[in-house]
Amino acid sequence: MTKAIQIEKFSYSYPDGTKALSDITLDIDHGQRVALIGPNGAGKSTLLLAMAGFIRGAGRIIIDGLEIASGNLKQVRSCIGCCLENPEDQLFMPTLFDDVAFGPLNMGLDPEQVRQRVAVALEKVGLPGMAERAPHHLSAGQKRAASIATVLSMSPKIITLDEPDGSLDPRHRDNLVRLLNGLHQTLVIATCSMDFAAAVADTAVVIDGGRVIVVGPAEKIMSDSKMMTNHGLEVPRKFANEQA
Amino acid sequence: MGCCDVFAQKAIKMHHAYIDKFAYQDSPIHRIDARVKFIIAVVFTAVVISLPRTSVSILFCYAIGPFTVLVLGGIPLRFVFKHILLVSPFVLVLALTGPLYDKRAETVVFGPWDWQTTVGWLRCYSIIGKFVVTMLTLISLVSTTRFAELLAGLRRLAVPKILVIQMGFLYRYLFLLIDSAHHIIRARVARAIGKIGFRNETRVAAAMLGSLFVRSIDAAERINVAMQARGFEGHWRTINRLTIRGRDWVFAAVSAAFIFGMYVFVKPILG
Repeated sequence: MTKAIQIEKFSYSYPDGTKALSDITLDIDHGQRVALIGPNGAGKSTLLLAMAGFIRGAGRIIIDGLEIASGNLKQVRSCIGCCLENPEDQLFMPTLFDDVAFGPLNMGLDPEQVRQRVAVALEKVGLPGMAERAPHHLSAGQKRAASIATVLSMSPKIITLDEPDGSLDPRHRDNLVRLLNGLHQTLVIATCSMDFAAAVADTAVVIDGGRVIVVGPAEKIMSDSKMMTNHGLEVPRKFANEQA
Repeated sequence: MGCCDVFAQKAIKMHHAYIDKFAYQDSPIHRIDARVKFIIAVVFTAVVISLPRTSVSILFCYAIGPFTVLVLGGIPLRFVFKHILLVSPFVLVLALTGPLYDKRAETVVFGPWDWQTTVGWLRCYSIIGKFVVTMLTLISLVSTTRFAELLAGLRRLAVPKILVIQMGFLYRYLFLLIDSAHHIIRARVARAIGKIGFRNETRVAAAMLGSLFVRSIDAAERINVAMQARGFEGHWRTINRLTIRGRDWVFAAVSAAFIFGMYVFVKPILG
């Protein structure tokens, strides 16, 4: 059976020569919920960009059986939906409807199908009836939910999210956890928040200095206080309480 | 407090929500199709601008049109006149140059009354009058129409796609740019202890502008990534959600009757 994401010895350096990712090898199965955790500057966001074919380096990245190459980026990106770190970058159209419809229209769907997908996606993220709102009139939590809707409307098999809990208050973060836990897609979430990662992921990948340090079940990896501290991380409260 | 500080304080107090806050209200005028409002505004503006400079008095009558739209749309007149005053200095400078160089005598007729003035002053009144009426029209259009609908309407009216896309991005990211500028100014004010002199102020202002420029370029790159991630390959696709209804035809007919009725019946009387 094909893996959702297969990365084989992938390396990438920035144009100034700084090594961003070194020999990354990682397999993610369909339906897995993976948290990419690591300190700031570890290479988490760069790895997510590489998974969607935005940066090209040495090694191979295979998405749902399709090796990323210049000629198949459209197919790759219809399979993997990217949620960027800042929702303001994700929401670039004048209304929420236009933003959520942008992907399905580019996939060549007919207007009726697009309308249906927009309605379903907005319903799923808890923003029904807000299709005509301008993005700059939404709250931070609503913008985050809306940016996930822009990806959900494309029905991708895999969704990558870069720091999705950034600048969210506890109530909006809980809403986001509920939303993500209700999705059936393969999730790859880059985050610095260990509590958030523990709440949504079943698998943890620790990245530091552009290298994969360890991969394994979230509870086992994130309960290892020595390893977590060594890489500038902390044990999430959920697992710390269990240990106590 | 230096002039730069005064500007900074004002900038901090300003907020972008004021730019389009009335466009999201609900009123009979807000419910009219964006295309109809746009076409009427363009025709009305063209007629007002093309009036001869001696037809100053008819401008008062033409002002009734956009004024009625603003009242029916529930737009506060204080907001309207504040915005007219905001841009008036540019027009006033242009208008007040007229009396300086053209001093030929001219008679102004307002219904049964008339008085003597100069061509220069007449030109000045005409420019100010046309400015106020066209500004009333513009504000009544943008305050009663959501910008997204206006863009969709322009697209349906065969305005070039690239122009509509550019306007869409400008509208969407203008607010973020204003926010970024506010943050930079706030950070500068928070650390501005004591006077640093005009030369240094200029240097700081240039650095702030540079920072804003770099942030804009970074944002543009990230937006490009977001677009490509959702399958964008250079073809801009949207769904038309505008429909012309009976009320739109009624509004168009009443507006046309007002514009041409004034021109054909009232203008000959007022002169």
